Amino acid sequence: MKASHYIGRKLLSGIPLLLGVTFISFLLMVYFGPDKTFELLGKNPSSEQISKVREQLGYDRPFLSRYAEYFRQLVTLDLGLSESSGERISRILARTVPVSIALVLPGFMLGNMLGILLGLSAAWYRGRWLDKFIMGASVLGMSISFLVIIIALQVLLCTPYGVNLFPARGWEVNDASSYVYYVTVPTLAIIFVTLGYNTRFYRAVMVEELGRDHIQTALAYGASSTELLFRHVLKNSLVPVLTRLMFSIPLVIVSGSLLIESYFGIPGIGKSTFEAITSGDQPVLKAVVGLTAVLFVFEQLLIDILYRLVDPRVAEA
Amino acid sequence: MILRVLPALLLLLLGGCGGSETPSDSQALKVYRHSMDGTPGSLDPAHASSIYANFLVVNLYDTLYRYRYLARPYELAPNLAQGLPEISEDGLVYTIRIKQGVKFIDDPAFPDGKGRELTAHDFIYTIKRHFDPVTLSQGAWLWRDRIVGLDEWKGNGSDYTQEVAGLQAIDEQTIRIGLKKPFPQLLHTFTGGFSAIVAREAVQHYGREMANHPVGSGPYTLRSVDSAQAVLDSNPGFRQEIFRLEEEGYNPDSQKHLGLEVLEGRSPPFVDRLHIDFIAEDAARWNAFTSKDIHFLKVPVSQFDRVLSSRNPVKVIPSLLESYRFSSSLESGFVYTSFNLDDERIGYHPDPLQNERNQALRCAIIKAFDWQSRNEVFYYGIGRVFPGLIPPTTPEFDSSADRFSVERDLDQARALLRLHDWNRENLPVLEYGFPASVTERQMFEQFRSFMLDIGYPREKIRPLSFATFGDFFRAYSRREVMLITSSWTMDYPDTENTMQLFFGPNMSPGSNSSNYNNEQFDQLYRDSAAMQPSEQCTEIYRKMNQMVIEDCVAISGVSRNLLFLWDKSAIMLPDRSFVGGYFLRFVDLKDPVPGDG
Repeated sequence: MKASHYIGRKLLSGIPLLLGVTFISFLLMVYFGPDKTFELLGKNPSSEQISKVREQLGYDRPFLSRYAEYFRQLVTLDLGLSESSGERISRILARTVPVSIALVLPGFMLGNMLGILLGLSAAWYRGRWLDKFIMGASVLGMSISFLVIIIALQVLLCTPYGVNLFPARGWEVNDASSYVYYVTVPTLAIIFVTLGYNTRFYRAVMVEELGRDHIQTALAYGASSTELLFRHVLKNSLVPVLTRLMFSIPLVIVSGSLLIESYFGIPGIGKSTFEAITSGDQPVLKAVVGLTAVLFVFEQLLIDILYRLVDPRVAEA
Repeated sequence: MILRVLPALLLLLLGGCGGSETPSDSQALKVYRHSMDGTPGSLDPAHASSIYANFLVVNLYDTLYRYRYLARPYELAPNLAQGLPEISEDGLVYTIRIKQGVKFIDDPAFPDGKGRELTAHDFIYTIKRHFDPVTLSQGAWLWRDRIVGLDEWKGNGSDYTQEVAGLQAIDEQTIRIGLKKPFPQLLHTFTGGFSAIVAREAVQHYGREMANHPVGSGPYTLRSVDSAQAVLDSNPGFRQEIFRLEEEGYNPDSQKHLGLEVLEGRSPPFVDRLHIDFIAEDAARWNAFTSKDIHFLKVPVSQFDRVLSSRNPVKVIPSLLESYRFSSSLESGFVYTSFNLDDERIGYHPDPLQNERNQALRCAIIKAFDWQSRNEVFYYGIGRVFPGLIPPTTPEFDSSADRFSVERDLDQARALLRLHDWNRENLPVLEYGFPASVTERQMFEQFRSFMLDIGYPREKIRPLSFATFGDFFRAYSRREVMLITSSWTMDYPDTENTMQLFFGPNMSPGSNSSNYNNEQFDQLYRDSAAMQPSEQCTEIYRKMNQMVIEDCVAISGVSRNLLFLWDKSAIMLPDRSFVGGYFLRFVDLKDPVPGDG
């Protein structure tokens, strides 16, 4: 099948998925999500005032009409205004998403790269002391709460109780040096908390790949360990590796950075989403949930295309 | 490939992550860094319902009145007003003159972008705007059914071309307010963020986005705001008013150590820039303070033991005083748990006998509640437990009042249950509502343990948890929660503001969430609401307080003690009560800002 046909077919198949995901998430938000009415009313409201506010918030409109409006907003990216701050939601996203990406990208990449290297090493030395050490350390890393890691790193690196080299909070990033200054401690926290999970996952993938016939054949041909691990094992493991990487991205951007952003005072999308949840700001929540769903759908498409690149058998199928 | 693309991508992202200032900027400026434990949400005065929003709004906009910076108890002071108002003999007409030459900041909302003079008409517009349904005001309740013609103006479609009889601009600088009945708290309502004066042009230009585009005449202007921080610059056009310690209520005996004398004769604001960090997480706030990223800290309860050497009296560890200044004050409000009297299982019942039994049950629960333990576990033992609704920060507080309602007496509680035929089988299920959080859950568990001590079956005391405060608020506004634990922050220093919590007409969805309905109480409330502060008024408040206690309407209450630490380089007396955000205009810094250079 031609690549363009394949992409077109995948795009078309994404439409019902998109409708389904947005419909279910909207349904959940309308019936189980926050209600801003009473917070906006002030003290001692009358029932007439309650009705008026519900009308102004659009809560009294039929469900399908609200869903159609929501879908239109997603398609046109005209997401309306935040009910809490009055700020245009597209502006909130434009302001916060780049911050979140810049915040988590180094930790995400380093965490995965180190995870792959450690996973390869553990798989290669399977059952030996290095494998046991890496797996033991991974379990230890996984066992410590993200919150504890953040607070411990803050105390050790950002306060006079430790070395006091980095800021405990803030994000006044203007150039590369200020970026390194503000991103280092959050990055260390992200690496610390994700490395264990990544390493265990990648080790399992590599161990499975190492047991395949073509690896035995390469060994028989006398391939070096480096060539074997990077050319034969890693390359042939790219499908699960890509799947994990790609599906982590929306979660990393939206929810993964929440604690980091809160504890380091970084104005990213995670913190804004959390504020929207606690304050009942439905327009912001709907935008974030809807766009995350859209992101997942497009990622699935991208993953399918990448599969074709890394594994020609997918294209043939 | 990835390695080649990555630096370019990061540079692109950095382009979108520009901070609020460059390092060279902040080195040249006096920057005071404040912290708050919550976010303000909207900066529109009509939505300044939280203490966080109020804190910022009163610095970006002007109000007619404020409280004297250093005077305790709190005293009103003119802000935009030239002085205290002329009040007619019957207390129904207030005439207020405002200062001349006060200008809104320059903004694209005005023709040519130049801020115009603020006049009496702007005040009239501001109050009217609260009664325009489009505004979705959270502050209209302050003036509802108070000002002649205002409610009718709303009823007739909120047409701004129509005049309101009780809101008149006599000339550009004179406001005349006509009241339907005496409202002695009126001036207090003109100190809060809700009354901050907005320009009509800004409302029309920005619409709802005005929440992020404040166009005021306050001492500061907004430079930037996001979910983590607000940055405010001093307003170069702010009126020149000389700071006088005496006028602000300076007390050298208790305030000399603050070094405020250097402010004498100068014109605020004294710093160039304010950074206000919103840090909800206790540990993060503490770490930011100890690393000198912020100047000010409201000490989290979890850190009280690291800060205090003594609880009674409250004393700070001496080594901390080498670097920091310290103050403590009771909050201007209290925490209490009210019974939903609309719930027949525990509240009013059509059968008089059952009604009596329900009241006895509520009284038994109150007698079983251990305030001392609540204070120890959740407020480090330094909160102030008091009986009823008159908190210790109000002038009407009676320190010699009988404390029987806040003293645990298990024998009396059990006797009450026995006397009214309550036993393990017929006791109703108690549903204790709270918004989901670890602390709230712990409070529920403690409450349950108190009730177990009087023989209440464990399975009959159930948590009713809500995902957010908004959900909890909605549920108890709809009378769906049996026991409601909440806190009340007073809007002004007058006990009327807490008494209205139990005034019949304010029943849910109003602030009387217990749905208490006592005609005698309501009549006393109406009588006292029209009185100026006086001994007679105090007597009435105390009588009403006693009624609420005797009817066993609420388990009340405790005022929390707030501890503040601030860097010695900051010259100030912080406040989180009625002075609130106003103190920021009087903050000065001795030395270059830590962390800024």
